[in-house]
Amino acid sequence: MAIAAVDAQQRVKPPKLHPLLRYILIRLGLSVLLIWGVTVITFTLTNLVPVDPVQSLLGELESANPARVAQMREQLGLDKPLIVQYFTYLGHLLQGNLGVSNQTRMPVLESIGNVFPASIELGLSAIVIAVLVGLALGLLSALKQNTVVDYVIRALSLIGISAPTFWVAIMGYYFFFFKLRVVSGAGRLDPWLTPPPRVTGLYTIDSLIAGDMATFGNALQHLVLPSCVLALFTIGLLTRFSRSSVLDVINLDYVTAARAKGLPYRTVVFKYIFRGAMVPIITVVGLAFGSLLSGAVLTETVFAWNGLGQFAYRGATTLDLPVIMGVGLVIGIVYIGMNFLVDVIYGFVDPRVRVR
Amino acid sequence: MKRFPKKALIVVTAVGLAVSLTGCGGGANNNDGKGSSQNETLVAEQTFDLKTLDPARSFELSSGTIIQAVYEAALQFDNGDQTKIIPWLCDYTISADNKVVTLKMNDKYKAKFSNGDPVTIDDVVFSYQRLQGIKGNPSFLLDGVTVAKSGDDTATLTTEDGNAALPYILPGIRVLNAKEVKANGGTTDETDAAQNFLDKNTQGSGAYKVESYNPDSEVVLSLNEHYAGKTPKFKRVVLKNVSGDTQLTDIQSGQTHVAFSLNQDQIKGLDSKSVEVKSVASQRTAYIYLNANPEVNAFTANQDFRDAVRYAVDYDKVYELAGEGASPIASLVPNQFLGAVPKSKAAKRDLTKAKASLAKSGYNGEVIPFNYDSTQNVGGLSVAKLAESLSAQLKEAGINIELKPAAGAAQLDGYRSGKHSMGIGAWGADFPDPADYLVFTPGQSLAKRVQWADGMAPEVSELAAAAVKATGDARGPAYTKLYEKLTEVGPFVPLVQPAQSIVVNKQNVKKFVSTTDRIFEFAKAE
Repeated sequence: MAIAAVDAQQRVKPPKLHPLLRYILIRLGLSVLLIWGVTVITFTLTNLVPVDPVQSLLGELESANPARVAQMREQLGLDKPLIVQYFTYLGHLLQGNLGVSNQTRMPVLESIGNVFPASIELGLSAIVIAVLVGLALGLLSALKQNTVVDYVIRALSLIGISAPTFWVAIMGYYFFFFKLRVVSGAGRLDPWLTPPPRVTGLYTIDSLIAGDMATFGNALQHLVLPSCVLALFTIGLLTRFSRSSVLDVINLDYVTAARAKGLPYRTVVFKYIFRGAMVPIITVVGLAFGSLLSGAVLTETVFAWNGLGQFAYRGATTLDLPVIMGVGLVIGIVYIGMNFLVDVIYGFVDPRVRVR
Repeated sequence: MKRFPKKALIVVTAVGLAVSLTGCGGGANNNDGKGSSQNETLVAEQTFDLKTLDPARSFELSSGTIIQAVYEAALQFDNGDQTKIIPWLCDYTISADNKVVTLKMNDKYKAKFSNGDPVTIDDVVFSYQRLQGIKGNPSFLLDGVTVAKSGDDTATLTTEDGNAALPYILPGIRVLNAKEVKANGGTTDETDAAQNFLDKNTQGSGAYKVESYNPDSEVVLSLNEHYAGKTPKFKRVVLKNVSGDTQLTDIQSGQTHVAFSLNQDQIKGLDSKSVEVKSVASQRTAYIYLNANPEVNAFTANQDFRDAVRYAVDYDKVYELAGEGASPIASLVPNQFLGAVPKSKAAKRDLTKAKASLAKSGYNGEVIPFNYDSTQNVGGLSVAKLAESLSAQLKEAGINIELKPAAGAAQLDGYRSGKHSMGIGAWGADFPDPADYLVFTPGQSLAKRVQWADGMAPEVSELAAAAVKATGDARGPAYTKLYEKLTEVGPFVPLVQPAQSIVVNKQNVKKFVSTTDRIFEFAKAE
C-alpha cells in the first residue's frame, strides 16, 4: 500500500485513476474481449459438427421429404452462409436474445433462466462446504506435517479426488436417502410442495424471503446431499493445495520473525501464514467454483437436479444448436467472470499485483 | 505451536460440518395449504424426451403420456384391444368401399373442455384440419384425407382410394378447444403460432389440465373441473425428468408412484414386496438393417449374406436381453396387430445354414461397420447391449462387424443419409394397423434408408399394392402375406418385440389400469 501510494504521488500530474480502479477497468475490458472470443469459438465449433440438426427435428416420414427438409432449414436460418448466420446471431445476442431452442421452441434465455439458478444454488453451497472443510483440513494437515493426522487427511483427500462422482452420487443417494432416510430424495423440493415465489430462483433464499420456513427446510434437505457429493472432489483438491501452499510459507523468514516477536500463535497462523498462502488458493477456489457451476452434469443427473449441466447434455445429444451456443456462452462468461473476480481479489490481497 | 490451532480448527471444521448437516433436522414435510396434499399427488418419473404438448406437433414418448391424460379423441380402443374400436367423443361409420368415415358426436358422453366449453363437431374438424395443415411430424396421419363438417353434429373424412386403417388412426388424434386455440394464434395452415400457448395452457377435455410446464425438469397436471368422466383420486400429477438409476431407488423407497423408464436389468433386481411390475407388449420392434446398395457394401446387398445374418443371430440371447414379456417376431409388425406374421414362424438360429449361406455369398471375414444409437432403449432393451451381444453372436458364424456407436442425432443423421452398411433399427407404430409398415416396402421412406429402391423386389411391391386395396376380412391375410415375403427377401432381419414395462409402488398405488394402448392411466389410478 505504502509503496503504491508513493509511486502514484511521484507520477502525479493529470488527474489519474486510482491504480486499483485502473487495474479493474483493464481487467474488465479484457473480459469483454474474451467473451466476444467465446462467441466466435462456440459458434464455429458448433457449426463444424458434421451432423444435420434438421434430422433430429423431423420424424421418419417428414425427413424423407426433401421439400420439408429444405423448408425446415430455411426456418432455422441454416440455408444462409455461415458468416451471415454468425452476424445474425451476434446481432440478436447484443439485444439479449439467445435464440429459440430448436427442440422445444422455447427462448434459450428463458430456459437458462429456469435452470441456471438451480446450478448456482448447488454450486454455491458446494463451494462453501468445500472451502470450509478443504481449507481447514489443509491447514491442519500442514501444521501437523508428517504426523498421523497428516497421513489420514492426505489419504482422505486422495479418495476425494479419485472417487468417480457418478458412483459416489448413486451410492450416497442409496445409503443416505433410501437406507438411512436422513436426507430427502431427488429433486429440489418434495413434489407436492409448490416452489416459493421467484425472486432469485434459489429455492432456499426465495423461501426465506417469503418467510416460508417449511419450504426452506425442505429445500435445504434436498440440497445437502448433492452439494456434499459435488463438494467432495473440490474438498480433496483444496486440502492438498492449501496444505502445500501453507507449507511453502510456514518456514519463510517473515513467519519466523513474527514468531520471534512473540506474537500469539493464533495471529501467526491466521494473519501471517494463512494470508501468505492465500493467493494461490484463491486461484484454485475461483476455478473450482467455475467448474462447480458449469460441470455438474453427473451429480445433476443422479439427483434429478435440473440445472445447466443436464440442459447442456440434452442440447448436445439432440444437436440443438441455439442451446449449445447459449450454454457455451454462459459457461464462458462464468469462467471469465470468476477469473475477473479472482484478479480483483488479488488486487486487494496482494498490493504488488495492482502496481504492476 | 501446540496450544491454539486445535481449537480454531475444531471450530472451522464444526462450522463446515454444521453447514452440511443442517438440513437433516430442519425440514418439515407437511403441506402448507398450497397445491394439493401429499396423498392426493401422484408422482411419476420418466426420462424426458419432451419437445411440446401441442398434440398436432408432439411425436415423443413423454408428451404422449401427458397428452393422453389431458386430451380426448373421437374414437378409442376397447380397453386397450387395438383391433377393436369403440366410441369416445364421437361414434363412427365407415362406407363399404372404405372411402368415407362419418363421425357423429356421442350423445352418451357430454364432454367439456377445461374452461367449461362443450366439445362440438367444430372442435373435431378444426383439430383434424390443424393437424394436417401445420405440417408437424404427425401430419402424415391424415395424409390424403378431406375433413369436412356435414351437419350440426357430424363430419366426414373422405379419401379418394379408400383407407380402411382410418378408424385405427383416429384414437391417436386428439381434440382441442377450437375457439381458444384460434384466439391464441392457432390456424389450420403453416402460419399456426399456438405451440407455445398450448405448451402452457392445454385445451383438452381429459381428466387433467397442465398446471405448469418445464420441458427440462417437470410437468405438473391438475384436475380438469369440467371433466365428464369419473373424478380421479389423484388431484394432481407431477411428472418428473429423472434418470433410470435414480428412478430405481425412488420407486423402491416410495418417493415416486410410477417409474416409466427402467430397463430390464434394473427391473430384474426389484423386490416384489414393495413394487409391482407391469409389462405389456410394446408397439415397437427392433431389427437389423442391411444396405441394399452394392456400392455402399457388396455383402449387405447380397441375399446370401443377409440369410447368413438371419441364421447367425442367437435369438434366445436377444429375448433374454429384452427381458420379461419380450416376444419373437416373424416380421417387423408387432404380434398383436392385424396382419402380423405368426410368431411361430420367427427365424431360429442355425449356424450350419449360416455358414453355408456365407460361403455362397463370397464373404471372407471382411469387417463390416455396424451402426447404432448407443443412447437408445427400445422398451427397456438397451440397444448398446444388444449391439455388443450381436457382435459376439455373428462372430460365431464367421461374420466380423465393427461396432460404430453414436449418440442420438449423430446416428440418425448417418442412418437417414442411407450410407450405413449395417446397424440396429427400431420402429414404433404410429397407429396399430399393418398399413403403418408399408414404409418398409421398396422405394418407401424406411426402405430408402438402406437404399432398397422401387423395382428391387417387384414381388414385394405387388403384394403391397394388393394389401392396400384389400377391404374387410381380406386385409389381415393380405398384409400377412406381404410382410412374410418382405422378411424373406428384404434387407431387414427382425429381432424382437420388446415388452414395455412400468413399475408401480404398491404402497402408494393400490389399483391401476395398464394396457398396450395406454401404459398407465393417471386418471384411473387409486
